Amino acid sequence: MGERARQVLPSVLSVLLALAVCWLLIAITRDADTATRAYVQMLWGGVGNWPAFLDGGSATSVTRPLGEAAMKAALLTLTGLSVAVAFKVGLFNIGAQGQMIWGALAAALVGAHVALPGALHVPLALAAAAVAGAAWASIAGVLKLKRGVHEVISTIMLNWVAVSLVDNWLVIGPLRAVAEGASSITGTAEILPSAQLPRLLGDSSRLNLGFPLALAAALGVWVWLTRTRSGYETRAVGLTPEAARAAGIPTLWRAGGAMALAGALAGLAGAVLVLGTEGRYPGSLGAPYGFDGIAIALIGNNHPLGAALAAAVFGVLRAGGTRMQLLGVHKSFPELIQGFALLFVAGRMVWLALLARRQKRAQAQAQAGVEVPRA
Amino acid sequence: MSLEDASLDIVPGELLAVVGENGAGKSSLMNVLYGLYHPDAGTFLMDGKPVRFKSPRDAIAKGIGMVHQHFMLVPTLTVAENVVLGREPTKRGLLDLDRACDEVAATAKRFGFQLDPRARVDTLTVGSQQKVEIVKALHRGAQVLILDEPTAVLTPQESDELSQVMRGLVAQGRTVVLISHKLKEVLGVADRVAVMRRGRTVAEVRASETTVSALAALMVGEGSRGAAMTGVPATAVTATHLTGTGTTGAAAALPPAPVEPAAASTGPVVLEAKDLRATGDNGRPALQGVSLTVRAGEIVGIAGVDGNGQRELAEVLTGLRKLDGGEGTLLGGPLVGLTPALAKARGVGHVPEDRLARAVVKAMTVEENVALGRHRQPPFARGPWVDFKGRRERTEQLLTGYDVRPNDPTVALQALSGGNQQKVVVARELDARPELLVVVQPTRGLDIGAVAQVHERLRDAKARGAGVVMVSLDLEEVLALSDRVYVLYEGRVTGHFPRKDLDERELGRRMLGAEASHG
Repeated sequence: MGERARQVLPSVLSVLLALAVCWLLIAITRDADTATRAYVQMLWGGVGNWPAFLDGGSATSVTRPLGEAAMKAALLTLTGLSVAVAFKVGLFNIGAQGQMIWGALAAALVGAHVALPGALHVPLALAAAAVAGAAWASIAGVLKLKRGVHEVISTIMLNWVAVSLVDNWLVIGPLRAVAEGASSITGTAEILPSAQLPRLLGDSSRLNLGFPLALAAALGVWVWLTRTRSGYETRAVGLTPEAARAAGIPTLWRAGGAMALAGALAGLAGAVLVLGTEGRYPGSLGAPYGFDGIAIALIGNNHPLGAALAAAVFGVLRAGGTRMQLLGVHKSFPELIQGFALLFVAGRMVWLALLARRQKRAQAQAQAGVEVPRA
Repeated sequence: MSLEDASLDIVPGELLAVVGENGAGKSSLMNVLYGLYHPDAGTFLMDGKPVRFKSPRDAIAKGIGMVHQHFMLVPTLTVAENVVLGREPTKRGLLDLDRACDEVAATAKRFGFQLDPRARVDTLTVGSQQKVEIVKALHRGAQVLILDEPTAVLTPQESDELSQVMRGLVAQGRTVVLISHKLKEVLGVADRVAVMRRGRTVAEVRASETTVSALAALMVGEGSRGAAMTGVPATAVTATHLTGTGTTGAAAALPPAPVEPAAASTGPVVLEAKDLRATGDNGRPALQGVSLTVRAGEIVGIAGVDGNGQRELAEVLTGLRKLDGGEGTLLGGPLVGLTPALAKARGVGHVPEDRLARAVVKAMTVEENVALGRHRQPPFARGPWVDFKGRRERTEQLLTGYDVRPNDPTVALQALSGGNQQKVVVARELDARPELLVVVQPTRGLDIGAVAQVHERLRDAKARGAGVVMVSLDLEEVLALSDRVYVLYEGRVTGHFPRKDLDERELGRRMLGAEASHG
């Protein structure tokens, strides 16, 4: 079994097993036919109803679902990358949600209150979000590296601080949009059109610049980790900190830098949400994409491209989940699938042991040249 | 091989000390007695009857207790909870803590220990924790108590107190076996001393009839065997002709290396250190005023029994440990304020003792490990980018030059054997052409072929003009390679010998803290 297969196979098998288990759950509570049809609906809801489109249906039947999936995949990719990057340096970033909240707020404020041409406005808003997320993550980073505060504890708590400060105070208090006619607006002011992420497939699809941006981020992180000196140093610090120190690598800077980058990526997720779909910081950020990032990173084996791939899969499943309701299956099933997949991926070592045993048996067969009875 | 035909008699009601150099087999022999290791051959009698311990459980049942060098206590539990752990008194199925405290207090009082059974272990001093370990063994009915290097972690005051404790136990009819290499201490407390060398018990002497010098000579292999044997009265425990393999890796005797009559190096001074002081990981002073000089083109051996400051000295010279005091010049810059990056930039190479923790990133590939530390410069990098081609070419050269197997730059380092991993580390460090090379235990765990190769490379580095500081616990290695030898004992230099004055016996004495017998 090659090294690549060892990295990829457990995740793939886990997702497939999770799909099978959830299919079984629907089949038990309803019947097998419904389960299968619900899965088909989920697929059409995620990647588009290609049969209908090819039969002469409208392009919207494909572009709209793809847009929904891409939008969710973009957010999951960025928060998944956030968790994965921190993990590369040995830190467990549970705080992507809080970092995303600050990123979303920064993007909303720059988007609404700075007047610039589009070519500058979007980059500025994105940069502001990245900086805000990085700053919030760096609180946990500095606490960890200077005072030894465990990052799991500090990032979890900083999530709640972010929720309290932003959702429970700023956006319903000082930063609340002044109502113009409308009676009850929650959240911040609407961003200017120049700050909106351009839509790529027309108005009927919510596919926007956020998706290619997230993919570029994944690619960028991967190139950084594997091809640059500082990425190499970061991995060394994460794998064997003492050896990295002995080799003259500035371990604190690398660890702190990775944590800040993790925050920046989560902050970008907030910006993509605000600039791409919400149009302002809503009364509450709602969907816990930051927490989902943990699952995405783990299912993606903490590999940047793996996280992007896992995000694409679950983006599709989630976008399609709503269509399951047509058959009376609850739309939260994709989340259940994600949960099961995470559970199974946690048993990575079990998968590897099973795969190794299979391989051994195959080798024994090949060597003996005879059929070995299955144990 | 760590035990080879070792025999030992333990007499009831006496304090027997077992002494020997590192790797002489003291701990292995005790682990056999305690049921942790199983001898390949030999007999083991208790009160005249043959016994076989499958595990420490059997040994404990037979009244043998052991206090390990590293305590086996749960820090967050109380003294009483630790002592009764595994045999807790219960009341209606629930832990009866009051009774546990009473019982432990009674045991402690009986043997004259002052211990609060309700105190949490992590609030106690190291000395008190050791008492908890002793009480734990006694509470389980130990008649024979084995203490493995008990004073290694104690302050001098605590050591004195421990001596009284041990004498007190013997006075109450218990038997104490003390493992140590601190000869002065041993002579002050023991009734009888057994000396081990290379897995054999080479002598048993009455403490009152010997001296530190005589013991040191026996330990390092001088003096006639058995000359100091005394008659042994009725025995309680007899282990005869035990052989076995312990944890210490390859210790196969090396053929003595050819000694070139080298003239003292007159090369430029690469390291001049004065009065170095540093604290060890345990918070106690590890270096207490070490001064040394190293010139280009010589190998300077640092000899000493494990734990006398050698490791910390190597760490200071490579920027890994902060100095508390002292000063010096290393390759044209101050020693104070040295960091690993600075040391590297000045041309210090380092082959650390703990390869997997410090020298390599085992999950990375061989070529990534070859780049480690030099990854910012050609041929390993081009600007901010990793230079894959340059790195591959250089790695292939080195793997071939050092005969590393498998000869594949892309496998994970952890897939290599220990000897091949070490070759990669040595290759990397020497490839950087260091002007000062600090190596610690460079051949530990390697097979003979790899040992010979590493030694040859160290000689090459010297011939090329590098200054080499070699810390080794293997006296033969020190003798085979060094142009000069410093002996460290308790963080101080207790001896300094140029090659022509190297005398194994004298070296051994200094390593054990004995005074100079001449000069």
